[in-house]
Amino acid sequence: MEKAKFINSRTIKLLIYPAVIIAYAVFMIRSGISDIRGFFTLGEVEGDAWLGIEGDDSVILMLKGILAFIITAAFIAFLVAVIRDIKTNIAELRLGTAPDSLGTAASRFMDKKFYVVALFLPVAGVLIFNILPIIFMTLIAFTNYGGDIVPPKLIDWIGFDNFKKILVLSELKATFVKILGWNILWAVLSTAINYFGGLFLALLLNKKCVKGKTFWRAFPIIAYAVPGFITFLGFKFMFSYGGPINYYITRAGANAVGFLDIDAAWTARLIGLGVNAWISIPTSMLLATGMLSNINPELYEAASLDGAGKWKQFVKLTLPFVIFSTTPTLITSFVGNFNNFGVFYFLRGGMYIDGYFLASDTDLLINWLYNLSIENNYYAIGAAISLIIFLITSVFSLMTYVKSDAFRKEDTYR
Amino acid sequence: MKKHITVRGAADAVLAYAILIAAAFVFFFPVLWLILASFSSTGSIYDFKGFFPSGYSLETFKKLFTDTAMYDYPSWLKNTLFVSSLSCVIGTVLVILTAYTMSRFRFRMRKPMMKTTLVLSMFPSFMGMTAVYLIMVNFGLINKLLSLVLIYSAGAPMGYLVQKGYFDTINNSIYEAAKIDGASNPVVFTRITLPLSTPILVYTALTSFAWPWSDFILPNMLLKNRDLWTVAVGLTHMGETEFSRFAAGAIFIAVPIVILYFALSRFLVAGVSDGAIKG
Repeated sequence: MEKAKFINSRTIKLLIYPAVIIAYAVFMIRSGISDIRGFFTLGEVEGDAWLGIEGDDSVILMLKGILAFIITAAFIAFLVAVIRDIKTNIAELRLGTAPDSLGTAASRFMDKKFYVVALFLPVAGVLIFNILPIIFMTLIAFTNYGGDIVPPKLIDWIGFDNFKKILVLSELKATFVKILGWNILWAVLSTAINYFGGLFLALLLNKKCVKGKTFWRAFPIIAYAVPGFITFLGFKFMFSYGGPINYYITRAGANAVGFLDIDAAWTARLIGLGVNAWISIPTSMLLATGMLSNINPELYEAASLDGAGKWKQFVKLTLPFVIFSTTPTLITSFVGNFNNFGVFYFLRGGMYIDGYFLASDTDLLINWLYNLSIENNYYAIGAAISLIIFLITSVFSLMTYVKSDAFRKEDTYR
Repeated sequence: MKKHITVRGAADAVLAYAILIAAAFVFFFPVLWLILASFSSTGSIYDFKGFFPSGYSLETFKKLFTDTAMYDYPSWLKNTLFVSSLSCVIGTVLVILTAYTMSRFRFRMRKPMMKTTLVLSMFPSFMGMTAVYLIMVNFGLINKLLSLVLIYSAGAPMGYLVQKGYFDTINNSIYEAAKIDGASNPVVFTRITLPLSTPILVYTALTSFAWPWSDFILPNMLLKNRDLWTVAVGLTHMGETEFSRFAAGAIFIAVPIVILYFALSRFLVAGVSDGAIKG
């Protein structure tokens, strides 16, 4: 029997495993333990430029603390994998199997654990740029970070105080309730308009008497392809004081109308709905077109033989089918509209109205969130509002989505 | 009886065409308005006769590329192209890998990962963005085009569901046959899956190019220097008196993307509907 080379997959492991353990121990001693401590205290020495004291930076401390927790979790996962691997190696030793050479081990790993190799980069990216920030912001919601309290001042854990402020304290609460009401109305209205608008167009284009479908479909697709911010800004120009609409109004002898002005609550809201429909109807038209082409035409023949009229066929056949197959997209579109930032940011951004705390009467929660956290540095309050938005959208959609057939029966067609 | 039906059918057709013409007008007119405005001989929106410029010339386009003192359009365009193409390449690779793996393999962490991405997508986008901003500021990564590329590409795998829906429709028996012939997983992916996936590859590349191409929020947050701006950020800073320059700049970046969408619309419909049916 050929003797296994000295450097093989087993000896390499004997080098790597202790090295990782030592590296983790060094990390914990050198900074990990103090990082985790800093996570709980969020800094003890306040910096003072006058006295020349270099204080603790609470934000950095929190980030480092989170990182130390993540590294520890990864280390534990690594230990579990090592123990499992050692067990299989011992079993192999008993059987006397020769260890793989490095090359075979690598290509076997590529094959058997292809999903690990393929998912490594995507997962790392999502971890760093999606999960870490969300963990960070979730934690921020329970601190007093923001307003006057930004580094070098020290930040403290304050529990649920931010949520109490939003749900109880007068000024914030009044704004929150008003915005939430409009936000829900907006989400329902715009989802319905876009969905049925798209379905209507698709049905129209599906009619036998309509010739040149590609030609007619081209116009909504142009609207679909124009970058969103251009659409928003274009419509803002259209309804501005110098814009074409006001040109015709003043030509007719009337005064120019401030469609998007500070006192223009409902005209601005209606314009918002219209602009959003202009942007979104083409997408839902494309979707509905795809769905409609999947309906079995025999169903309609059978229905009309049974004496069902056009309307009845639509209500009993088309609508249930389309709604069944678009439930997931309907939910995403509802959530998307609930969090539709662009429309009112571009049409009426940066407007603060009396009776609202740093918001206007067209702002949705997401716009308010932007005003608070990006424009005015109220990070903790903003984070708390984010969590409330998350609660609303996730409770709404997880219930429907996980129960929907598209999620449960994903293997049906294989 | 028969005649009654045809009269009704004719009325139906007339009505259908009337609505289609109205819809075409509604969708096309604002675009036409911007196109006309970009050829206006005067810049300010106040010189317009309603929807129409008072005179036409190519002057605005010339100004767009030569008069760069206040609005440096050429360098915005360069920045946008850089960010979009790089994010497109990296993002497409990551999304396709994620979607294929999620569709083809069954492993212990699969369902938990799918549920996690679902939960993550429920968080309002700004929540993470505020944190990313704070982190970038703290680590001095602000004002860099590459950090934009990093964020766009890293976020791309989150939208893997459409692509997964496509891969779900590829018949399992092809894979089984390849396995029997002794093909390893990397070989199966590069030799069998990728050649079968042109529509979804095109769709993914197009959407991951179009997103940074037309995104405003992230560059506005991360790029503070005027010469680093992308087109979206720059155009937002043009007021009513620069209306035709805005229109010219907007048309110039909208046209390539519209042409791309039309040239590839066959893939687009396939991508949208295949992914959606299966969620």
